[in-house]
This record gives sequence, structure tokens and C-alpha cells, in this order.
Amino acid sequence: MSGKALQGVRVIDLTVWFQGPVCAQYLADFGADVIKVERPQGGDQARGVRSIKSLEIGDWNQYFLVINRNKQSMAIDLKKPEGQEILYRLVEKSDVFLTNLSPEMIAGWNLSYEKLSAINPKLVYATNTGYGRFSKVTKPSFDMTVQALTGIMARLGEPGEPPIYLGMGSGDAYGGIMSALGIALALYECRRTGKGQRLDASLYGAQLYLAAPQLQAYLAGNRDSALQHSRRQAANPLWNLYPTSGKWVYICERNEDSRFAALCRALGQPSALLAANFASATKRRDNHEALIAAIEAETLKHGHAELMAAFRTGGITASPINNFADVVRDQQAWQNRYFMKTFCEEVQREVDIRGLPVRLSKTPGEVHSLGPQLGQHTELLMMDLLGYEWEQIEALKAKGAIP
Amino acid sequence: MSGVLRDVTVLDLTRQFCAALSAAFLGDFGARVIRLELSPADRSEATGRWNHEADLIHRNKLSVSLNAATPRGREVLAALAAKADVLVTDWQPDELAAIGLDYAGASKQRPDIVFARLSGFGPEGPDKDLPAIDELAAARTGAMPMLPQPGQPPVYTGAGAMHATGQLAFGIVTALLHRMQSGEGQQVDVSLFGANMYGSALDLQAFLAIGHGDRLLNPISRLDVSNPMSGSVYKSADGRWVTLTMPDTDRWWPAFSAIVGLAQDDPRFDTHEKRTAINRPGLIDELEERFARQSAEHWRREFQARQLSADIIEQFDFPANDASAYANRYIIDVDHPSFGAVKTLGFPVWLSNNPAQLDRLAPGTGQHTDQVLHELLGLSRDAIQELTDAGVLS
Repeated sequence: MSGKALQGVRVIDLTVWFQGPVCAQYLADFGADVIKVERPQGGDQARGVRSIKSLEIGDWNQYFLVINRNKQSMAIDLKKPEGQEILYRLVEKSDVFLTNLSPEMIAGWNLSYEKLSAINPKLVYATNTGYGRFSKVTKPSFDMTVQALTGIMARLGEPGEPPIYLGMGSGDAYGGIMSALGIALALYECRRTGKGQRLDASLYGAQLYLAAPQLQAYLAGNRDSALQHSRRQAANPLWNLYPTSGKWVYICERNEDSRFAALCRALGQPSALLAANFASATKRRDNHEALIAAIEAETLKHGHAELMAAFRTGGITASPINNFADVVRDQQAWQNRYFMKTFCEEVQREVDIRGLPVRLSKTPGEVHSLGPQLGQHTELLMMDLLGYEWEQIEALKAKGAIP
Repeated sequence: MSGVLRDVTVLDLTRQFCAALSAAFLGDFGARVIRLELSPADRSEATGRWNHEADLIHRNKLSVSLNAATPRGREVLAALAAKADVLVTDWQPDELAAIGLDYAGASKQRPDIVFARLSGFGPEGPDKDLPAIDELAAARTGAMPMLPQPGQPPVYTGAGAMHATGQLAFGIVTALLHRMQSGEGQQVDVSLFGANMYGSALDLQAFLAIGHGDRLLNPISRLDVSNPMSGSVYKSADGRWVTLTMPDTDRWWPAFSAIVGLAQDDPRFDTHEKRTAINRPGLIDELEERFARQSAEHWRREFQARQLSADIIEQFDFPANDASAYANRYIIDVDHPSFGAVKTLGFPVWLSNNPAQLDRLAPGTGQHTDQVLHELLGLSRDAIQELTDAGVLS
């Protein structure tokens, strides 16, 4: 058997930007048949991305093409009743309907849960909202604005510094995996009972879960977990960031005498570290600020490569703080297919993409194509999948339901 | 209503927060999750305070405690594996082999088992045996140096480990879907390294594609943000920060310019090109100065009135007191048997027919040993007593 894990699952992907598309990407990577439905004029807004961080994206739009890989595209004008009728036919043939458009827009296009589940009672109807299905907040939502409300940002960085965003698309990516997980669960239920249902995975809900380790502590009364903390005051100086004359390094060791002794050896037994006030776990905890300063004084005397060599020899668990230029060369990432090469039609050459972060040994994911052109499969799918005659397609074009 | 995974039995052999939470997530959706505590267990001392972490990451689990150092203990483990649909672990391969619960051992007992492991750096490559420590994986993934303001230390967020929680559960349910069709089990691997890469998804993909760019390698000052109206933070009069996410500035400019007191047709800023390229520094300066004139609450009212994608950067007190967090059960109220009314983290995903449930808080170590051995393995009370007397169970 083997094959693909989600073979035979058809997904209508009516999503834009990042959270919804990356959710459907997880499903498509494992073999689901994902049909991206887009407005005829311009399609998904992410097709228009031209720069990231003020850098030109080059000759291929990696923002759009990578998260929409393994998908087909239909361009349908859902504002028109004739366009809605095409989508209803697609719903009859599908297992999942996924959208991250605003609920008002979806209702206005007659694509509510009530409407679609009446057409196909087995349908899994998934929404990706900003603030949750039972929230009263209706304003448009983007990752960072929602992340701001969760409290995650405010606790990062050195005290007094501005709050820190977890990275472009970080919250969308988390909302996306949570949505994919919800869909997989609903499919499991549907396969057993034949019943569809609706689900929601919001940016807000996902990111509150993302904050779990610290937010749960806060809910239990630990007010301190909401606040910024300095690396100069880390409770365990042996598990901390240190500057070198090159890159920073992260040392990850327990506060135990044997580990501290090993660290001292790796650093060349500097007398400052052998002082009596660091001679036990309790003393190291009580004098943590002094110890951090003393370790830092030593690490600054070396480059990160030299220091890492000494750490490896001495059995100290540590890593240099790499940047992206390092990670794109990291063989460990390529060998595990976290990075992959794939052919890009748009530029007619192989390009480097983010690969497959979830590995299933017998049904591994795959990337067989990058994102489709807008409406590339409209006619093909209408004929082969939905059973339209060519004359009907011509008539729908004349009405502007499809381009 | 019942949980989706009501016919799924999960063995939980985890040490880490993120892997244990992944197993708890399966329990939230109805799986019977059996946490294996192999003596000598690290029994946490009773502190008299609420163990809020255990009641999150071990909720909806049963606990079985036994001594895996004895041959008979390993026999019980093998019998449990034979009854398991899923095993979730973050142990190292040699540790698992020593107790007969590596994939070879577990799948011998249960050929169609879904064997899910959180690793540090993935199952292939020279570093496949490095420990699963999120800080190491995050350090290696490249995002840490660019998160802070220039001149500040790199930032560890912990988001990678939490990505692994979601990805591991997704891999497990996907493998269960495949098993339902094919009868075939398999191994699932999610690593902290791979998970961290998805935490920094867009920037990392951009660098992969573009191959250069200081702005993807080093911190960008907030006063040099690429789009003054998106991804930017400004300090308000009361010292609280506000943030804007309005990437398509043409759409938002009319309403936004009005609240900050700039003329909509100000010739310096009347096109997207001028706002985000030609006069970008000028707009940042204007906004920096204008946001400092009013309190954060003032700005929130303005953002809300005009339905702008912008808000205050809050601390945890906000969600803890936010009606919408409770309405969606992202945070839930629980009546704790020992500590009374407490708030605890809820469920990130809502399913209409089979919603997540909190059936039980964290079990005591070994609380369900007898029950599980009796009900799942069919051992008699006498046989269980005999194993207990022999020191196999604890």
C-alpha cells in the first residue's frame, strides 16, 4: 500500500495571504488534491508581493509559489450567482472547504456553512478567523496585530527595549498548522461516521497556545512571566547566551558541579570562574549575575569557532547563533529535506524552497509543483471533474463567472 | 458528544513540555493517553502550590508507573505497546532500544503502530543524534540574530518547540488517516530544527530564494522599518507600544492618515510608492512623533472606530481578562479539586460536533497503573498485586 497519506482527499482552498494557504500546503504535501479558488482579477493578493523587507524578491515570487505548491488553481468570480453555482458543484465533489476570507464576504457570496453542508453533508467546513468564531471583534486581522494582543511580544527582548515580533508570518504559520491539525481530526471523524462538521482555527487561539509555557504560568499567578528578562539575570548561568569576538553562542548545560567543572575546563580554567562564590549549584544560582559577567568576560576572548571547538572537545552542549546565510548551507537541513530543490516553471530552473517539516516514513510528503498560475486549471477541472460541456463553459465565460 | 480519537490508545513516553503537550492535545480530542512513568521516576515534590504546568501538559492522561529495568517490567511495556495505536516520545533511539520501545521493538508488538518521535535535528544526517534541545535548534536556524533591535543580543522565543507540538500531532493524525485506509502504521518524525524553520517561515524562505541581503541577516531598527504602516511599532504618550499591520497602504491610507492627523493628499505620502520607498524615512519620523502625542488607549479607540488592522502591544493580563479568549475556550475556568477556581489554557482549535474537552487534570504518578493493567491488558487483581510485590509496578 503506502502511496500518499491524504490520497483521495479533495480540498477547496479559498484563502489568501499566508495562514490559510500554508494550512492547505500541509495537506497538499501529503497528497490531498487541493484546488485553490481565486478571484479572476489578480487572484490571491500574495501574487502581488514584490519585495520582502525592502529587498526585491527577484524573478520568482517565493512568497506565493512555495506555500501554494502542489495545488491547482481555478479562477471563479464568486460575486456572481453563476460563479457560486460552479463552486457548489465543486463542493459536491470535495471533502474539505477552507477559507480565511471575512465571514461577511463568505455570507455575501452564499457560501455559509448551512448552505454548503446542505449540498454535501460530509463536508468539513474550516475557517481561519482572526480572533475566533465566538469573538465579537470583526476588524481585519493580520498576524502581527493579533500577536500583539497575546502578550508573547511584550515579554521578549531586554528590559526597556521595544517588544519583539516572532518573525514575519510566525503567527500565520502557527495558525496554519493548527488549522491543518483540526482538518485532519475532522476528516478522521468523517471517515468513521460519514458526517462532516465545521471547525475554526484562529490566529488568536493558535498564538495563545503558542504562548503556553509562559501564559499558563501567568494564569497560575506568576506575574513575572509576562515581563521582559535580561540575559544578564538568567537563573541558570550555564543555560544562557554569551557573546564571543565573533557570533554569539548558546550554552545549554544543567547547573551541576560536574557540568560547571567541564565548562571551566573548556574555557581554560580561568581563575575568575574558580572563585568560591561559584563553587556549588546554590552559589551559582545566588550569584548568577556575577557568574554570567565572569563567563562573558572569558567567552569574549575567543571567536565562536575556536570556542565551539573547545566545547566539542570538552563535551559542552552549545551552538553558535547562526544567521540565515549559515542555515541555507547546513547539510543537516538538506539531508532531512527541510530544504529542497524543485523546478520553477516561471523561471525554468531549479530553485531552493522550504521543504517538509513533518516526516512520515512510509508516506513521505513531496513537492511535485510550485504554485499554479492564476486560473491555470479552471477549464480542465470544470470538464474533467465537474462534468461541464464546452458550450456551458463558453456561456459562463460570456457571463463573466470565469475568465 | 465524544472525542474524535475515542478509539485511539496513545502511549506517552515524553520528558519535554512540547512533546508531552502534543500527547495531551490528542487526549483533548478524546484519545486514551497513557503516560508511562518508568521508575525511578522524577517525582516532583509537593510544593503546596498548584502544579499548573502538569495540569496543562499532562491533562487528559492516565498514568502508569513501572520499573523498566526489570525483565518483567519490559514485558508489561511490550504488552502495552501491543495494545497501542500510537506511541509519542522524545527519547533518544538508544534509550528506547534499551527498554524495547524503539520502532523495531514496538512494531514487533504492534505492526500497525504509529510511532511518533520528536527529535532534535531529524532522523537523517550527521547530527541526527544530537539532543532535542530547542535552544540548540533555534540557535542553528538563523532567525535569532535578526529579531531584536540593532546592537541587542539575539532573541530566543521558544516558538520552535511549540511549532513542533502542532506538527507532531498533525503528523500523528495524518498517519492515523493513512492507517485507516491502508492498515499500515509508520514512523513520524518532527524535529525542533525543522519546526524552528517554520517559525521563521517567510524570512528564511526569502533568504533561500534571494541568497543575500543584510536586511535578512541583521536586525533592522524599528525606525528603518520596510513599511512604516506594516510590521512597525511606535511608542505612545504613556509608554505603551502600538503596532500596525496594513501592508496594502493604498487601502488604509485614507482612514489612517486621518487618525494621525496627516492630510490624505499630503504630497509627500500620497502614493504607496512614496509611503514605502521614496519618503519612507519621512513617514516613519512623522508617525514616531505623532503616536507619541496620545495614549495607547486613545489609539486603540481610533483603530477600532475605523476598523484598522492595528492595536496595542499587550501583556498577558490582556488575554487573561479578555472575554473573547473565554468565549472561544482558548482560556478556560476550572474548578480544581485542591486549589479551587483557577484559569488554565484551553484549546486552540474548535470542532463543532466533537469539541475538545477537559476530562481530567494531570494524574498522580502511577494513579492508573492497576486500572490500565486490568482493563487494557486483562491482568487479574492477583497478578497485579504479585507484580507490585515483586517491585515491577510502583
